[in-house]
Amino acid sequence: MTTLVRARGPALGVDVAAALNLVGELVRWLSLAFLFPTAIALGYGEPVWPFLAAGAVAAAVGFALERVTQGAERVGPREGFLVISVLWALVAALGALPYLFAGEEQLANPLDAYFESMSGFSGTSASVLSNVEGLNQSLAMWRQLTAWVGGLGILVLGLAVLPRLRVGGRQLFELDAPGPDLDPLAVTIRETARRFVILYVGLTFLEIAALVLVGWTGLDEEMGLFEAVAHSFGTLATAGFSTENESVSAFGPATQWVLIAFMFLAGTNFALMYRAFIRGRPVSFARDDEFRLYVALLTLGSALLVVELLSEGLARGEEAVRHGVFQTVSTMTTTGFASVDYNEWTFPAAVTIVALMFFGGSAGSTSGSLNVVRHVLIGRILRRELELAVHPELIRPVRLNGRVVEDRALRGVIAFVLLYVGCFALGAFGLMLDAARTDLELTPFDAVAAAATTIGNVGPGFGIAGPLGSFAEYGAPSKVILIVLMWLGRLEIIPVAVLLMRRYWRV
Amino acid sequence: MRIFVIGAGQVGSTIVEALHDEHDITVFDLDPARLNHLSHRFDVVTVEGNGASRRTLQEAGVAEADLLIACTSRDETNVIAAMFARGLSERVKTIVRTTDVEYLEVWRERQLDVDFMVSTELETAHAVSRTIGVPAARQTDVFANGQVQIVEFDVEPAAGRPDVIGPPLREAAIPASSKVAAIIRGDRVVPPRGTESIQPGDRIVVIGSPQAAREWSQILAPSEQRVRELVIFGGGPEGKAIAELLLAQAISVRLIEPNEQRAAELAERLPDARVYHATGLDPDFLERERIGRADAAVFAMRDDAKNLYAATLARLGGVPFTITVVHAAGTNRVYEEGGVDVAIDPRHVTAEEIVRFAHDPRTLQVAMFEGDRYEILDITVRPESRLVRKPFRELPMTGAVIGAIVRNGEAIFPHGDSMLEPGDRAIIFTEADRVREVESAL
Repeated sequence: MTTLVRARGPALGVDVAAALNLVGELVRWLSLAFLFPTAIALGYGEPVWPFLAAGAVAAAVGFALERVTQGAERVGPREGFLVISVLWALVAALGALPYLFAGEEQLANPLDAYFESMSGFSGTSASVLSNVEGLNQSLAMWRQLTAWVGGLGILVLGLAVLPRLRVGGRQLFELDAPGPDLDPLAVTIRETARRFVILYVGLTFLEIAALVLVGWTGLDEEMGLFEAVAHSFGTLATAGFSTENESVSAFGPATQWVLIAFMFLAGTNFALMYRAFIRGRPVSFARDDEFRLYVALLTLGSALLVVELLSEGLARGEEAVRHGVFQTVSTMTTTGFASVDYNEWTFPAAVTIVALMFFGGSAGSTSGSLNVVRHVLIGRILRRELELAVHPELIRPVRLNGRVVEDRALRGVIAFVLLYVGCFALGAFGLMLDAARTDLELTPFDAVAAAATTIGNVGPGFGIAGPLGSFAEYGAPSKVILIVLMWLGRLEIIPVAVLLMRRYWRV
Repeated sequence: MRIFVIGAGQVGSTIVEALHDEHDITVFDLDPARLNHLSHRFDVVTVEGNGASRRTLQEAGVAEADLLIACTSRDETNVIAAMFARGLSERVKTIVRTTDVEYLEVWRERQLDVDFMVSTELETAHAVSRTIGVPAARQTDVFANGQVQIVEFDVEPAAGRPDVIGPPLREAAIPASSKVAAIIRGDRVVPPRGTESIQPGDRIVVIGSPQAAREWSQILAPSEQRVRELVIFGGGPEGKAIAELLLAQAISVRLIEPNEQRAAELAERLPDARVYHATGLDPDFLERERIGRADAAVFAMRDDAKNLYAATLARLGGVPFTITVVHAAGTNRVYEEGGVDVAIDPRHVTAEEIVRFAHDPRTLQVAMFEGDRYEILDITVRPESRLVRKPFRELPMTGAVIGAIVRNGEAIFPHGDSMLEPGDRAIIFTEADRVREVESAL
C-alpha cells in the first residue's frame, strides 16, 4: 500500500518515473551509436577516447535513469509528451560530448557544442562551424551520424508516436486506421517503426551506392566513400550537414542530381513509399492528395527560381535548372544542402527560398516545417469557411484522400499552424532584439530567415548565416533562441507546449 | 401458378390485386384484419400466421408452390421466409422485398439464394429518375436496357403544335422512332388508328427511343427543359437512394435534411452532393439558397403533410417541377390536387417490379399504367406464332399495340411494312384484360 502511494507521488498526474525510465532505456540504446565514430577514428588513426568516453557517459546516464526509476514502466500517452521532449534535449546534450572531449576549438564553448548537436539530432543542419573541414574525420562523421540517428527518431516519432498522442492533426496519419486505401500496415508502434526503419536504412544504402558509383565512374572526382556515406546520412535525415565548407557546391553536377533525387524521396511520406515500392502499388502516389501538392509545389518553386536565375543572368542552361531545382528541393524538404551560395542571389529568389521553408516535405518523412498535408488541409478549411459564409446551413466535410477528416484533427492542424507561426514570429523578434543589443550585422530579413530556417529544421539562413557561412557570430541569447526553435520545430511544438500547462502535471 | 405472398400490407395487396385473376394465391399475415380485407375483395386463400415460420410454410403446402413473394416491411422476415421456402422446396422461386440496399448488393454477388430481389428505395429512385428524364411525363418506363421508353403524357388543353395535335395520326408530325400506343380520353381508351387524332385534354401513351421521348416532351411541354439541378427534401433512405442515382447521371443534387447527424452522414457518403442541415420549410432558407432556381424538387420526407407543404412552398418559390414520395395509401390524388406534378408511391413501385417478375416467365418486364388497367408486356415471339412474318398493317387491331421490337439486342421501332421474326422481343402496350390473349397469340 505504501509503495503504491510512493510510486504515484502526491497529486501528480504524470508518471514522471515511468517517463524517465523509458528515456533511460532509449538513451542506453543510443550509446551504441558512439561505436560508429570510434571505428572511423580507429581507421583514420585519430583519438578514439572522446567517443568511448561519451558513449560511456550515455550508457551510464541511461542505466542510472533506469535504475533509479525501476519498477515504473507503464508509459501512457500522457507520459509520451514528457518522454519525447526530454529525450531530444538529453540526447542532444550527450551528442555534444564528443565535440567537447575532442577539444575541437570551434566548439569549445558548451553552448556551441550543444547547438551543433541539437542541429544534428533535429535534422536541421544550422551550424556554428565556420570551417567544417577543420574537424577531423571521425568528428565530422559523428556530426553526420547525429543527423542520421535524429532522422530515424523523427521517422518513428512522426509515423508511430505523434499520431497516437493525437496532436497537431497527426492522428490523420495513424496508419492503423482502416480505410478504403489505407490498409492497416502494422498493429504496434514497434512493428510500424520497424518497417520504416528498414526502408530508411535501405534508402541510405542505395544512396551511398549511387554516390560511390558517381565517384568510381569518374563523373565526380571529389566523391569518395567517406563523402558518400556522410552525405547520404545528411540526405535521408533531410538534415543537410556536409563535410565540405562549400556544402554540395564542392561537388559536380552528377552528385548534385543524385542528391536531388534522394532529397525528393526523403521528403516523401515513408508510409506511401512503403505501399508503393514494397507492396507494389505505385498508383498510391497519384492518388495521394499530399504527394500531388508536394510535386506541384516543387515544380512551381523550381520554375520561379530558374526563371529568376535566367532572367538575372545568375546562371545559364543546365546550371540554372540544376541550381533552381536543387535549391527548391533542398529547402522545401528542409534538407539545407546548398549547390551554390544563394546568399548572392537576388531578393526575389531569397524571398522564394524563405517562403519554401514554410512548406516542408510530406508528413511521415524526415522533413520538418509545417508539412505539405497541413497546407492541403488549411486550404480546404478556408474554402469551407468561405462557402459557409454564403451558405450557413451547408454541411461540408473536409476530405483528405477521399476520407472525411474529423473536426478534432482539423482543430489540431489549425492549432499547430498558429503555434508554429507564433513561435516563428517570437523567435524572429528575439533575434532582432539580441542583434540590436550586440551590434550584430543582422538585417530584419536575415532574422526572419534564421527563425524560419531553425523552426523549420532547414539549416542555413541568409546573411552571415548563409549556406556557406555560420551562426557562430550570433550572441549567446540568440543561439539559445535558435536551439529552442530547432527543438520545438522538431517535436511539432505541441508536445513541449503541453508541458507548460499546469493541468498537464495535475491529476 | 401457385403463389405465396408473405405480408398483406400495401405492397402485398397491390401484388394480390394484380395477380389474383390468373393465379392461385395464398396470403400470409399476422394481422387478421388485413387478411379479411383481402379475402373479401379477391378470391385468395389467407393464412393467419408468421410467413417466416418454417412450420407455417410447410403446413400451408409450400412444397406445391411455384413462387413465393416475401414482401413484408421487415427485411429479415422476408429473407428468412425465402430461405425456409427454398429449404422446403427445390422448385419454388422466391422474390424478396428489401429496404436495405446492402441486401441487394449481397444478392447481386450471388451470396443470397433468392431468385429476385427488389429494393423499395432503389425502385423509388428509378421512378424519380424516369420521371425527370422526361419532364412532361406522368409516368415512364424503360425497356431493353434503356433503348425503349414508354411514356405517358398529359396533353394540356392549351397545347400548341397544330402539326401534331389535331390532325389524324397518319398525317401528324410524330417524332421518328416513336409510336402512339394509346390515346386515353376520359375513361375511354381510343385505339390509335391512323384516322384518330390527338386532342387537347387527352392523355397519351408513347413508345419510342429515349431521344424520341425527349422530343415528345418538347412538343407537349416546350418550356420544360432537361433537369440539370435538383433539390431533394429529406435525406432518409429514399432521399439518399434518389440522390445517389441522380448524381450518377451527372445531375447536380442538393439535399436538405433536418437531422444534423443524418445530414453529416449524408455529406460523408455523398461527396458530390451539397447537403444542407435545414428543415426545408423555412421560406428564408429557401430564398437564401435560391431553391426556386432548381429545375426540379423531390420531396422525400417521412411526413406526407410536410411534403405537400414543402412542395407548395417550393412551387410558390418558382420550382417548375415537383415530385413527391407518397407514404400513406391513397394520397396520390391529394398531391395531384395540391399541384404536385408527380406523386410516386414506393410501395406501388415495388409491387409493380415484383409483378413484372411474377408474370409469365417469358415476360421480362411488365409495367402497369393507369392503376392496373393497362400493361406493357415484353414478350419473346415463338416461331409457331400466327403473327410471325406478316406485315404490321395486315395485323388485326385487338386493342394491343406493338410499340417496339428488340432484335439481337437492338431496338427497332416498327412501321406498317415491318414484320415480327421468331425470337424477337416485342414490347406491347395492352389492356390488362387482354394480356392472356396477347401472350397466347405470340
